[in-house]
Amino acid sequence: VEYLSGKVFFTTNSELCKLKKLKSGERLFLLLKKHAPICLSRNKGKVFHEIQKLVIEDPGHWLDIISIWKHLHENKVKQGNLCKGHPESLKRKSEEINIVTKKQKTEQIKTIFDVEEQKTNMVLETNNNMDLLTESKTFLKETPESRLDKSVESNNRSFRVSCRCSGAIAKVFTSQEVGKVLGITLMKQFGWKADLRNPDLELFVHLNDIYSVVGIPVFRLPLATREYIQTAGLRSTIAWAMASLAEISVGAFVLDPMCGLGTILLEAAKEWPNVQYLGADINDSQLEGAHENIKASGLMDKIELLKASVVALPLPSESVDVVISDIPFGKKFKITKDIKLLPNILQEMERVLRVGGTVVLLMSQDLHKHMDGCISNCVESDTSLNITSDGENGAAVVKDLNPKEKNGSLRNIPSSVKGVEIEHLHNNITCFGSLAAVESYKVSLGKTDAFIYKYRKVPGAGMQ
Amino acid sequence: MKLLTHNMLTSHVRGVRPGGGFPLRIQATEVKVSNVDFNQEFVARMIPKVEWGALVEAAESLGHLSDLPPQLPPEYENNEDFLKKVHHVLLEVEVMEGVLKCPDSGREFPITKGIPNMLLSEEET
Repeated sequence: VEYLSGKVFFTTNSELCKLKKLKSGERLFLLLKKHAPICLSRNKGKVFHEIQKLVIEDPGHWLDIISIWKHLHENKVKQGNLCKGHPESLKRKSEEINIVTKKQKTEQIKTIFDVEEQKTNMVLETNNNMDLLTESKTFLKETPESRLDKSVESNNRSFRVSCRCSGAIAKVFTSQEVGKVLGITLMKQFGWKADLRNPDLELFVHLNDIYSVVGIPVFRLPLATREYIQTAGLRSTIAWAMASLAEISVGAFVLDPMCGLGTILLEAAKEWPNVQYLGADINDSQLEGAHENIKASGLMDKIELLKASVVALPLPSESVDVVISDIPFGKKFKITKDIKLLPNILQEMERVLRVGGTVVLLMSQDLHKHMDGCISNCVESDTSLNITSDGENGAAVVKDLNPKEKNGSLRNIPSSVKGVEIEHLHNNITCFGSLAAVESYKVSLGKTDAFIYKYRKVPGAGMQ
Repeated sequence: MKLLTHNMLTSHVRGVRPGGGFPLRIQATEVKVSNVDFNQEFVARMIPKVEWGALVEAAESLGHLSDLPPQLPPEYENNEDFLKKVHHVLLEVEVMEGVLKCPDSGREFPITKGIPNMLLSEEET
């Protein structure tokens, strides 16, 4: 297992139907080639040659991978049916498949699931593939992709190249240019036929400052597509990520006080079923959408809805185990006016949360900056948390692209850092005094970036 | 609205005496009973979070008391019969249409399509 900005690479010999259950990945690819970044030179032709080399350097390897892909592809339907009944009986040849899962929105994405990823690591070492698949977290983003097609006859396999360039290379070439070069090269090399609309084979190429990666999508639809969600609000991958951070345990009471279409609750209830979920929203049409989603997903038993305001929740104090919410921002919420509600929102969340309970929030950087003023204390401890662990300050962690460092910081949290947070909180009592920052992760929502923040209600502080 | 949810809800109208907004009285015009898979561990863990008296009162007012005792019996964790009854009352009885009434202020909160509307106007908060 290897993590790069926006991508997780791993090796597995698990069943396809298991791979399909990866929750936090946007897309799953077979890895064809992983390379150092293409070095740029003044000479465009030279660079093109480099790019071409990606494709033609090792045709034997390509054909191997493609036969694996073909194998997977042909088994897909068969497996899909079989897996439901007898997952054990399906012992496919345990071929080692190098799979690259791509987070396609790179630049700033951090790997979210450090803790789980460590697990994955261990699981890999012990060759326990079943666990790998349920535990392994891959986090990917869809991409606006440029596509290219050219038509040449032969070998009757059609293909399409989807290319994405970012970083330095994007300044020299457009994705289309690269796609074109690769497309022509492939046609010459293998005699494939290009087909933009309905290709047999799709090739993803991603070039940036950190790596050059070529892969074939394993599934036609992104992993993030959930058959049980009808109308999507928040990205399902993000929702799942948030839920996985929330430490939801059996018999817990989980509240999303601004549930919108209920995406977070749906993802959570699918994964952690023996829990009571409650979603509140003030908007009838959102509630109706949530109702439809819940019905369609068959989770009527698990999720209850309520029309109520997040600043005046009709719940007793300390009655909820987990509060999990996407704090609206951007289009819907104008920073100027609604941001004033933020302290009230947090205060109310704090009130209904039991001591030891967890809050997981998704919010924009702007919102969080604003919050700095309100809960300077918590943020301060957040920063010190990172300083103690790996010498990064809060801002640096946000920009931190290296998951390894992040792993390092996480490992240290339980031992050395908690005390620091609590201490800070005792010194200063604010309205969110009992909500201690635990960790934060940067995620990309396509065009905008946001942060997942996790707080825990600590005993005593803020209540005194 | 399941009775489990009802057990959590409290009226928060301005001026309500502390603790006076609970439990909300249910005036149901439509009650649905559906089948929910029984999970013993889940029910056993939910019981300590429930206000027992309020649950019994609510179940009784809907005519679904299902022989729940007025006091929570000791060592219920392994009493499957008992847990099944609680399961039924907490999760299977659902108020679809009706009104929740604040015992203190008399403020009424309508329930439509199973969703209680607990939203207050600005003056009420």
